[in-house]
Amino acid sequence: MRGGVVNGAARLEEQFGARLLDRVEFRGELTYRVASDDWMEVLRFCRDDPELAFDQLDCLLGDHLPERTEAPFDVVAHLVSHTHGHRLRVKTALKEGQNLPTITGLWPSAGFDERETWEMYGIVFAGHPDLRRLLTIEDFEGYPLRKEFPIQGTVGGRIRTDLRGKI
Amino acid sequence: MSDPIAQLIFLIIKAILVPVLIVMMVAFIIFFERKFAGFFQGRVGPTYLGPWGSFQSFGDIFKLLSKEDLIPAKSDKPVFRLAPYIIFLPAFLVMAVLPFGPVGGEANLFGYRFDYVIANFDAGLVLFLALGAIAVYGVVLAGWSSNGNFSLLGGLRAGAQMISYELAMGFSVVGVMLMANSMSLVDIVEGQAGNFWDWYFIPQVVGGLIFFVATLAELNRTPFDLAEAEQELVAGYLTEYSGMRWGIFMFAEYVNLVVISGIVSTLYFGGWRAPLEVLDFIPGPIWLFIKICVFVFIYMWVRWTIFRYRYNQLMSMGWKVLLPLSILNLVVTAIVVSVAG
Amino acid sequence: MSEARPTLEELKRRKALSRQRVERSGEVMTVSMGPQHPSMHGVYRAELDLDGEVIVAVRPEIGNLHRGVEKLCEERTYHQIIPITDRLDYLASFVMNHGYCEAVEKLMGVEVPPRGRYIRTLAAELCRIANHIMWLGIHIMDLGTQTFFCICFRDREYILDLLEMLTGARLTHSFGRIGGVAKDLPDGFDRRCRKVIDFLPRRVAEYERIVKHNRIYYKRAKGVGIFTSEDCFAWRVTGPPLRSAGVARDLRRDEPYAAYDEMDFEVAVEYNADVYDRFLVRMKEIRESCKIVRQCLDNLPDGPFVASDAVHALPLKKNVLRDSAAMIQDFYQVFQGPLAPKGEVYRAIEAPKGEMGVYIRSEGGAHPARIHFATPSFYHGQAVPPLVEGEMISDMVAIFASVDVVLGDCDR
Repeated sequence: MRGGVVNGAARLEEQFGARLLDRVEFRGELTYRVASDDWMEVLRFCRDDPELAFDQLDCLLGDHLPERTEAPFDVVAHLVSHTHGHRLRVKTALKEGQNLPTITGLWPSAGFDERETWEMYGIVFAGHPDLRRLLTIEDFEGYPLRKEFPIQGTVGGRIRTDLRGKI
Repeated sequence: MSDPIAQLIFLIIKAILVPVLIVMMVAFIIFFERKFAGFFQGRVGPTYLGPWGSFQSFGDIFKLLSKEDLIPAKSDKPVFRLAPYIIFLPAFLVMAVLPFGPVGGEANLFGYRFDYVIANFDAGLVLFLALGAIAVYGVVLAGWSSNGNFSLLGGLRAGAQMISYELAMGFSVVGVMLMANSMSLVDIVEGQAGNFWDWYFIPQVVGGLIFFVATLAELNRTPFDLAEAEQELVAGYLTEYSGMRWGIFMFAEYVNLVVISGIVSTLYFGGWRAPLEVLDFIPGPIWLFIKICVFVFIYMWVRWTIFRYRYNQLMSMGWKVLLPLSILNLVVTAIVVSVAG
Repeated sequence: MSEARPTLEELKRRKALSRQRVERSGEVMTVSMGPQHPSMHGVYRAELDLDGEVIVAVRPEIGNLHRGVEKLCEERTYHQIIPITDRLDYLASFVMNHGYCEAVEKLMGVEVPPRGRYIRTLAAELCRIANHIMWLGIHIMDLGTQTFFCICFRDREYILDLLEMLTGARLTHSFGRIGGVAKDLPDGFDRRCRKVIDFLPRRVAEYERIVKHNRIYYKRAKGVGIFTSEDCFAWRVTGPPLRSAGVARDLRRDEPYAAYDEMDFEVAVEYNADVYDRFLVRMKEIRESCKIVRQCLDNLPDGPFVASDAVHALPLKKNVLRDSAAMIQDFYQVFQGPLAPKGEVYRAIEAPKGEMGVYIRSEGGAHPARIHFATPSFYHGQAVPPLVEGEMISDMVAIFASVDVVLGDCDR
């Protein structure tokens, strides 16, 4: 029961056909890539269709591939179904500065995930109720998980003596 | 030397000696609480200072005196400074009416009569209840004057809790008053003359239990220590108090503990009387001391064993369970006393 | 106390009843609980709006323990990431190692030998027992008594001594390795472990007896903090809170890893979805973990405890200075590290607090291109507003303790 969607994959492909831009099967896991315009619709179908029934969003994360110059950012959603026991990964590619609609309406657990993705990569989720910094300090500068952000140094953060007494 | 001068000298001696003894006792009781906590929890308590760690309280006092006296900037400073003493003094005043030996009778010390009580007050029990009510002021003012959300919440909770349980406390001691036919603590102990089966805890068992539970709430001890609930409100009304001011609060709490143990043993367990008449040769104060120690231990035992009630459950227990039961106890006692004479 | 299992509708009705106090008018007092707070399980900050005793709104704030783990991992080899995973949920370190190693082994296609799998199961279950005992102590301490906390910690010491004997450390074990574990069971471990596992269920039964039938605990925990299975799915709440809502989901049973498919154990499920049931679930899990540990000790297979995969796993230290092949392997593994194929994997395991998932994307080199830890406490910390809004402030402490949040897990 681990890994890929078995019958439901056919259902997904039948529904969306060519809008599923890419399909990868690796180590028993199934990954689909969709265009950012289809993001909301595909995920809603995954949740609501009774054969797929992906009732839990395991996690949503961002990714940065600077070598892919036309669309360097990725947003990856991992879905899991409790009723059928299968898993799915859905990805979408984004340009610099492009927005993606929020899926907190589908799974509220995406709230913190999307905040973290915005904070780390700078990907804006349109319609998110509370898009602000989560793990780093409020006026941190820069997007830490982007590849060009250095691992060591004082870019963006330093010991904030100016915040003493305010937090 | 004439009798009034002798009595004056005795009064001065008692008025100095009793508070000093109480203060010494409290210092050791604070240490014992920590030792007992350790034993209940499978660890040793303080062992560092003095034999068996017994000078720990003195070390604590020195440490607290050396701390910075922090008063929050926006607090009501006079009230902030006054609040600990409002809790502290009533407890001491109750000691004035608590008898620790026989009162009245013939001359027993150098030809003069030495009453083992500082003030033989006719309404000693009522004074105790009244002073307990004043202590509520201290708690509420401490919380309010600290000018902080947590403190205010804690102070109000504590105040409401203490007032609610005072009612049950008051009604349950009326049963004792009826049996002794007097409001004076001296007479109540006189009424328990004889052996331990003559003490009031047997006929007043319901009242005694209610009184015990109600005093736990008065003392703000677990299971009723919501006002100081560390886990929920940091320290409730004590949050802004540090250093020796906090020390005075703690001290007041333990003086209260000693005094209330004294009251419990006086009202229900014979006060300074021996459990068996053959043991009468051991003087009264020693018996009272032993009984106070026993009750202090029981209060500590309860504290380190039982969980804390949630606030609304605590209040509903006080109003819906203890108050009706204490009124029932009063009615039954009144009927029995008037019928049996 | 045996009642019919409540349906989802019944639970929703009970939840609405216990929280109907939200719609009260009046001014609210804003109180900040944390980040330094004796009960907040680490530096978690919750800004509460209180109307009297009732919580009207909660705004959680995390991030005080953020160490940038995911960024740090991007410049490290796959072996060097293992100590970093220790510090995620530091109360059950080996389980974090284990989850990470499972994901890496899935990516690289490494197979763990049977003895390695059994030792992993053994250590993971010991971590689970330690975590749940500590949870019990903290939960009861939050409700008012410190005595129980001290007693639970005394029992946790036995488990920590066992773990120290096995891994060398009490808290941050770093015991998992790609392909197996770091060391074999030491001499005397079997005997000592059996002794501990023999008396521990009796101790746990005693605690259960004290707490389960305690009138005050019952009143403070029954019907408090109801979070139905729908809520759990929506908010990605897994582990004991999900199992207390009637969903029999346990990744050790549903997506078995290590030696769990050869173990005979029951999944602890309760049906009332409140704080009391989460307590019962965790107590049952301690007992089942003791069973699993005993089975591991009884059926431990012989053989190597780490895969002898020269490309992906570290060699045994005792061979490194004697055998040239092992020396070359050690040099290769330490200086370059194993190379992963191009691709991405996601692997979730059952950590004591919930489901922990590890996502690794590799571009074929020695460092992961992207690694993400989907830790349970992150989502449980997010689920605090729907759990707590409408309850009273004293209940907040009990409910927050029952979902078991640890900030190392939450902030990464």
